[in-house]
Amino acid sequence: MNFKKAIVIYKKEMLELFRDKRTLFTTIILPVILYPLLFVGFSAIMSRQVDVLEKRGATIAFQDSLSFRTPETLAIRDSIYEDLKKIENFSIIPAPPAMEKLYQEGEIDAIVTVKDSLNVLQEPVLIVSIRYDGSGEKGMMVYHKLENRLLETSQKITAQRLEALHIDQQTLKPLEIKPIDTSTAEKKMGSVLGAMLPYLMILLLITGASVVAADLVAGEKERQTLETLLVSSVSRGEIVLGKYLTIVTMAMVNVVINLVSISFSIQYMLSQTGLDLEGIQMPINSFLILLLAMIPLATLFAAILLSISTFSRNMKEARTYEQPIMIIAMLLGMVSFLPTIEINNVLALAPIINIALLFKAVLIGNYQLSHLLLTIGSTLVLDVIAIWITVKLFNTESVLFRTQEEGGKIKIKNKRTFFSPFYGIVYFCLALVALYYLGGKWQTADLVNGLIQSELILILFPVLIVLRLGKYKPAEILRLNPPKAKELAIIPFIAISASTIVSIIAQVINHIFPFPQEYIEAMSRIFTQDISFWELFIVIALIPGICEEILFRGFLMRFFEQKHFWYPIITTAILFAVFHLDPFRFLPVLLLGILLGYLAMRTGSIVNSMFFHIINNTLAVVITTFGEQNWMKIFIQDGENLKYWVILPAIFIFIISMKVFNKITVSKEVQL
Amino acid sequence: MIKVQSLVKEFIQKDGTSFRAVDEVTFDASNNEIVCLLGVNGAGKTTTMRILSTIFKPDSGKAEVEGYDVVTEADKVRENLGFLSGDTGLYQRLTPREFITYFGRLYGVPEGMIEHRIREMSEILDMNEFLDKKIEFLSSGMKQKVSIARSIIHNPPVMIFDEPTAGLDILTSRNIVSFIRDCRNQGKCVLFSTHIMREAERLADRIVMIHKGRVLKQGSLVEMREETNLSDLDDIFIYYINQANGELKVAANEF
Repeated sequence: MNFKKAIVIYKKEMLELFRDKRTLFTTIILPVILYPLLFVGFSAIMSRQVDVLEKRGATIAFQDSLSFRTPETLAIRDSIYEDLKKIENFSIIPAPPAMEKLYQEGEIDAIVTVKDSLNVLQEPVLIVSIRYDGSGEKGMMVYHKLENRLLETSQKITAQRLEALHIDQQTLKPLEIKPIDTSTAEKKMGSVLGAMLPYLMILLLITGASVVAADLVAGEKERQTLETLLVSSVSRGEIVLGKYLTIVTMAMVNVVINLVSISFSIQYMLSQTGLDLEGIQMPINSFLILLLAMIPLATLFAAILLSISTFSRNMKEARTYEQPIMIIAMLLGMVSFLPTIEINNVLALAPIINIALLFKAVLIGNYQLSHLLLTIGSTLVLDVIAIWITVKLFNTESVLFRTQEEGGKIKIKNKRTFFSPFYGIVYFCLALVALYYLGGKWQTADLVNGLIQSELILILFPVLIVLRLGKYKPAEILRLNPPKAKELAIIPFIAISASTIVSIIAQVINHIFPFPQEYIEAMSRIFTQDISFWELFIVIALIPGICEEILFRGFLMRFFEQKHFWYPIITTAILFAVFHLDPFRFLPVLLLGILLGYLAMRTGSIVNSMFFHIINNTLAVVITTFGEQNWMKIFIQDGENLKYWVILPAIFIFIISMKVFNKITVSKEVQL
Repeated sequence: MIKVQSLVKEFIQKDGTSFRAVDEVTFDASNNEIVCLLGVNGAGKTTTMRILSTIFKPDSGKAEVEGYDVVTEADKVRENLGFLSGDTGLYQRLTPREFITYFGRLYGVPEGMIEHRIREMSEILDMNEFLDKKIEFLSSGMKQKVSIARSIIHNPPVMIFDEPTAGLDILTSRNIVSFIRDCRNQGKCVLFSTHIMREAERLADRIVMIHKGRVLKQGSLVEMREETNLSDLDDIFIYYINQANGELKVAANEF
């Protein structure tokens, strides 16, 4: 690796980017103009609007509906009328004849009616009703002004009455509440910023990175300049490094410029409102730590986006693939809005979440060095993996030259057969809707039977019916081929290790987003029912294992098979994860789905993925049934969670067993 | 000098079957010589050239550029090779000077040398006028000159041109053709590919005919004319294709 050449590439990319008006505009000019406009302009417009509204005034009809016309009530009525008249810019008129019509037409803004009734002491009390239109700014403004003035009038009358009775007004205030806030201004600012700023920074980082990433490799493919670069005397690693540094720089530039612009705008706005700026200080020290912690995140985003850009055929495709990554990053970043979650040693290992929480802790002013180091360290590990993948992609001919090879040679356009992505998605949506409405209903009525019914009637039978109607051979379409003995022999190793890894991931997610109580109760209902292990095995493991594999790896995966080897696997896995209708289990189920798809595609038999699926679900049954027993205590804590250390042997076994699996199976990628 | 021996390259197609783009291709090209890879679209010319320029790795066989192996000594191969194709894109926002300097630096040419080469090449290629204008504002002929200058900034002994005139107008093509001749006259080894028979006829010292990934025939035009008793290269090309098909048929009948 020659760093000098990487720097040559870096410099050239930066030069090009800064000559690109579009990039220049979105990363530098836009933030510089946008925030002052947004903060200062908007608040100025707002206050001016309110001013205009108030100056414009309002017409109020005053209606007298008194029934006891005692001198006292009349006096109060007059007092109210006089007081209302004192409101600036308001004209108070006696109720005109066509008052209702004028009110409907907006000529009159509010109607104040004075009525009376008797209280428990048989004394007359006045009731003042205000009719107003609460949907508009003006209506609300009129109401608040009237209400404030009426409260003043009421206080005035109370004072007069108390005086007549020779009672001191203070008697009515036996308690006085005096708040003493011990938080410093810095801490207060920190907690406000702590919720918002991490999210904003993550958002800015990834948008800044994505603006340039798509252009750097996919753009070169599109403009046909990549080949020239590849034949020049520079290694693929140097190219990746140069481009990667470019993305990191642009992402950081974007964040810094945005933050500076935001902080200036806020300070200007605060100074305009005449607030005391003494106490409100931007925590400068914290900012430096934040910038430091942001670098590994910027590098992670850069590496991920660069690999996407490398994989994509053109910029449009790269942008499409970037979307899910951006959404996931934003969702994870939102963790900073959750008030109860604070960083700890486990969360410091969760990507993006760790940065968001660390930022929050830094801004409030209490963070631990260990968390900072863990966060940076774990992000860097992911970073290295992502860069490694990018270099790998750069060395994969089929990826780098997808444009030519696929576009040129094999352009036989099939007529739209039933097994096309379009119908796959349609079928999936129908199944999902059925499961959501019918399945949900059945399961609420009777959980166990409802589950069995859902699997058989909603998941399995429709597939068989569709195949029958289309006169397809079920065994062939569904890949119901007999597996080889050696494949079946290795599956348990893969299944147990992979399930363990995925369970731990699920545990980490649960740790971050603790389950709501109702959810836990609903989930445990199934296990606390009075049924035996074997019945549970059939309901939870066997039937779903068979039915869901037939639907997903057997049936749905066929719809997406026209493309790349991984395309049907990943698409089906996403559908599989969506199907479970649980955002917190999305990632674990997605990972399992990918593995299940790989096993089925690679061996050409869904019996293998069924076997895996059944083992995976059986493990859950075993843990919940026997979790409390002594022999399980080695692996299990709190009766249901795996101990974290088991992930290490699990990863080890998983890698070894996958290696063996890949060796004993011939890639269908080549053979099909 | 280029040496290609029993080169094989397969691609996996969408339907999973593999496809032999280059099938046991053997030929060579020495210094001071223009060798033309002639074949219809999809014959395997570009794939062969991409293996030679280290973009693709061969599945089997051997290829050498200036004595360096394209797989094990890819760095050395790239240093000794100038590569130009008709549809090469350029960085629109750079000027020709910046563009050529960029590649000069990537090839490790010393700064002073880069400046000297740019001055020299802009004289020869008549580029002085637009050397500091942004590439996006240049005509296609000017762009092609910039590409040429880029391909020889490191003064490589071996030049590969992949369909260098594809999509270019007649004046620009002429520039390229005369540039290819100049390269040979400077003692370089030149390999170029085309599907245009006239171009091969005019330029090549030797022709390597490729069809469906295999070498049909190689030799000089004179030899081919003698062997086939035909004068037009179009006819010669068709003759050899028919001959190959005939052999295939015979081979098939034997089973």
